[in-house]
Amino acid sequence: MEEVRRGKTKTGVASWMRRKLAMVFLLVLAAFVVLGVRLYLIVRDNSETYKRQVLSQQQYDSRALPARRGRIVDANGTVFALSERVYNIILDTKALLEKDSYLGPTMAALVSKFGIDEETVLTYINTHPGSRYYVLKRTVPFEQITAFRDLMDEESENYNENIHGVWFEEGYRRSYPNGALAGNVIGFTTSDGNGLYGVEEYYNDVLSGTPGREYGYLGDDANPQYTVIPASAGNTVVLTIDSNIQAMVERNLREFAEAHENTARMADGAHNIGCIIQNVNTGEILAMAGYPAFNPADTQNREPLLGRPMVDEQGNYVRDDASEYTYLTNELLDGMEYDHLMQQYNALWRNFCISDTYEPGSVVKPFTVAAALENGTITGNEWYQCNGQLHVGDYDIACHNKAGHGAVSVSRGIEVSCNVAMMHIGASMGIPEFAKFQNVFNFGLKTGVDLAGEARTQDLVFGADQMGETELATYSFGQGFNVTMIETISAFSSLVNGGYYYEPHVVKRIVSDSGATVKNIEPRVLKQTVSATTSDIIRNYCNQVVSGQEGSGKSARPAGYRIGGKTGTAETLPRTQKKWFVVSFMGYAPADNPQIAIYVVVDRPNAAEQDSSRYATTIVKGILTEVLPYLGIPMTEALTPEEQEELHRMRERTYLLYDLPEEEGEEGTEENGEETPEETPQEPGMTTAQAENTEAQQTP
Amino acid sequence: MATSAARKLAEVKPRERAVIRRMPKRPQITEKTVQSSAEKTAGYVDYSLILIVFFLCIFGLIMLFSTSSFEAGMKFGDTAYYLKRQAAATMLGIGVMFLLSVFPHYRILKHLAMPAYLFSAGLIALVMTDLGYEANGARRWLQIGPVSVQPAEVAKFAMIVFLAALITVMRGKASSWKGFLFCFLMTLPIVLMIYRITENLSSAIIVLGIAMIMLFVATPGYRRFVLIAAIGCTAVAAIIYGILHYADPSQSVRFARIFAWNDLEAYASGKGYQPLQALYAIGSGGIFGKGLGQSIQKTGFIPEVQNDMIFSIICEELGLFGGIAVLMMFFLLLWRLVIIASNTEDLFGSLLVIGVMGHIAIQVILNIAVVTSLIPNTGITLPFISYGGSAIVMQLAEIGVVMNVARRIRA
Repeated sequence: MEEVRRGKTKTGVASWMRRKLAMVFLLVLAAFVVLGVRLYLIVRDNSETYKRQVLSQQQYDSRALPARRGRIVDANGTVFALSERVYNIILDTKALLEKDSYLGPTMAALVSKFGIDEETVLTYINTHPGSRYYVLKRTVPFEQITAFRDLMDEESENYNENIHGVWFEEGYRRSYPNGALAGNVIGFTTSDGNGLYGVEEYYNDVLSGTPGREYGYLGDDANPQYTVIPASAGNTVVLTIDSNIQAMVERNLREFAEAHENTARMADGAHNIGCIIQNVNTGEILAMAGYPAFNPADTQNREPLLGRPMVDEQGNYVRDDASEYTYLTNELLDGMEYDHLMQQYNALWRNFCISDTYEPGSVVKPFTVAAALENGTITGNEWYQCNGQLHVGDYDIACHNKAGHGAVSVSRGIEVSCNVAMMHIGASMGIPEFAKFQNVFNFGLKTGVDLAGEARTQDLVFGADQMGETELATYSFGQGFNVTMIETISAFSSLVNGGYYYEPHVVKRIVSDSGATVKNIEPRVLKQTVSATTSDIIRNYCNQVVSGQEGSGKSARPAGYRIGGKTGTAETLPRTQKKWFVVSFMGYAPADNPQIAIYVVVDRPNAAEQDSSRYATTIVKGILTEVLPYLGIPMTEALTPEEQEELHRMRERTYLLYDLPEEEGEEGTEENGEETPEETPQEPGMTTAQAENTEAQQTP
Repeated sequence: MATSAARKLAEVKPRERAVIRRMPKRPQITEKTVQSSAEKTAGYVDYSLILIVFFLCIFGLIMLFSTSSFEAGMKFGDTAYYLKRQAAATMLGIGVMFLLSVFPHYRILKHLAMPAYLFSAGLIALVMTDLGYEANGARRWLQIGPVSVQPAEVAKFAMIVFLAALITVMRGKASSWKGFLFCFLMTLPIVLMIYRITENLSSAIIVLGIAMIMLFVATPGYRRFVLIAAIGCTAVAAIIYGILHYADPSQSVRFARIFAWNDLEAYASGKGYQPLQALYAIGSGGIFGKGLGQSIQKTGFIPEVQNDMIFSIICEELGLFGGIAVLMMFFLLLWRLVIIASNTEDLFGSLLVIGVMGHIAIQVILNIAVVTSLIPNTGITLPFISYGGSAIVMQLAEIGVVMNVARRIRA
């Protein structure tokens, strides 16, 4: 045996070994075949599913780049709203923990440069070691991050190689350099950059711009690559509002409110005070203010809420059985549920001038007369007998003068604001004609003003089919239907400017980020409400309201000027035991050639006797005393010594431009000079002119 | 040296002493004969083998670059980081391969068998000292100066040489149950050391597998191997069944891998993630693949993709076609090894080649079985292609020995 085996070894490997080797090889072959079949089956059965799976797993690194929101500037270029670049400080815990040496220096730098609470961050790092995104601090301005960036910059001399895992996410913060000025018109933005209320909401699309995007993908050589589609900044909105006029208006409202605060009741000077000044020949709103105002940069400040009437969860005023309102105090606010509290803020943020409806009262009397004149029912020479009341239908409807006005001409009917005369005029017109003219004056229709939140009044004004004898009578002197301020002043402007109804607007131009005019919003005549003749007659009647012996609005006249207008006093709904009033004055100046219309509404003034239009007229007087000289409208009336004395007093505390032409520029800049550091010296108006020039040059 | 080792062992088993005593004479005779024949034939060079090995090495480097460039770029800022290191190891390996193919005569290895055995055992033990270092959660490497060595890879080569020498020395005695058990017991210490010290079950299995293949070929009869295979398969099946039914995946990493293998989708975010992603890669490649360099899965989806899972990227980029082609290249390589082993006139040389063949076959089969989720996940690399310096150097050294053996074949 041994010999055989030895011999075989010499000549080579034994044949049984070869067989066994071949068997091993066959087993290997079999295994390879199994593997090959397995591969084939995977590909055959799952190719499509797995292809989709692989693609669906791809996470393309893409990041939205915020667009800078456009600015909101006033007619003179004063900035109301602008967006500043800010940074969120982001912690990448995973990168920070990559090396032990990173944590200490990075934390120290974060604490020293940004004052970040070390405890909180360390706790977060311990609990989330794999986190890649944690916001350490929001909206940090550029100046504050430069020092920290220096530490991370290899080029810099302060470079610290152990600072890792922190980066800065770009964003924008909306700021309102003029604070609460025109806050109700401007509105504000939410933290994610969407406009709420006012211009911010109405022109949100124009202001927003287009966000950019940063895409990460793998290039041909499997290197991560980035493509950036830059964000395009939003357009600038140029308002028709003049911040100087706006400031004058707001200060007058505030002074009135402060004077009446906590007098008859422990509350604000009135529930609301609104004022609109409109250019009667273009429909442009020069000022629109509500009291109390809020600051768009600090929307949830409690201060303006205090003293306001409380609203319930549905946003309606809370009244008790004695028809008294509840006024907000710190205690009440402290005890409030979040939703209820937000309703209080919503009530504050809404723009009284366009969103609130009320019964206008006597300010509609010129409309009643104008309608009757226009359709020929009256000539203006009619006389009516006022005995203090008139029996209409089943009611005795009283005039505000219970004793009666006696014989009342059409002109005197407006001058003394006689309800009985108006009821006669309305009755002589008849329901269909009267209702038609309500429509002509746009009552019950939206004006289309370019602000978010204009109230719909269609259901608050009866048409001819719903109106009865009594409604006709009360409508003729402004009770029984509801209007908004913007509705009323727009109609009134047409009444005094020759009959042209202009669409009211607060934006006159949209300008691109580079300064080119994107859109000019031209004055738009919607209709002719009355003839020029009727307009002249109405102006004469309204002039008497201020200038006439018996004029109910005499106290509205600013020293040195002649103006016209109409007062209004309306009882509010619901009619309760305790009477609440909305008092108003709607006027225009100058009396002969109206340039501006002004409408002031004092909603439930804080006074024992609310039903006096003096509350409104004194405000109008104060405003016009400042605004008319500012607009360069010359005085036409002689000043009495008392008036001169009064003007001198006012000059001490206001920006009154009366008699001080040499100080005009200085005073004008003082208003906004410091508050507009961002503003370019170029006036937006000039930009437009330049744009037009270049256009003209291009097309010879 | 081999004789002294054998003698030492023979003291434990006195009955074998006589046989072993005769041993020193035998090599001298055969050595002379082979040497003279080698001189006469001026050496047989298996060009097919060299071509296949070169192809695999270069193909491996290309695929390694394609596979690892993304991770290398992300991690080291140098897309060629892994390529450079692997290319250096491959160059070293090729140098070693040619050196071993011409010099010295492979028979020298028979005398070095025992020292190689002890040396590899010593290397494994060194992992426990300060020289050892940990990577990817396992302590498997030795850092000696600038180079890191994986002792398990060295042990595989050492075990091939040792077993070839032992079986040759024992001759017919290895055929007996006792001789067989003796050979088996000689491999066990190394297997256990690899398993226990370096916590590398897969390398332990490979070493055991190499030993089984060498013993299977070198000893006549089938019964005991069928028995061992039957017991082994039953045991593995029972263990896996037991783990799946009576254990919890949280008890051990290996348990978790078995649970994951049993239901990849259920553990898709844990231990099933890597094998499942590898399957996605293979499946999404389709028949002809996405094209070289076009893999999506290599971009961070398959962990350690350049190591165990490189075959999945080959399939993703080159498709089923590429995967089968790689299998066929390995098949050709193994075929050349079988041819050389069958034609070698001397048992020791033949066993060396059989050991190398067994080594490569086991690793290829296990690696692809893992990648295709036929067996539970375990860290086995694909020879010549996967990233790993120690492995490529040792594998090329093994091929060098094979070439050395082949040179002595009479044409």
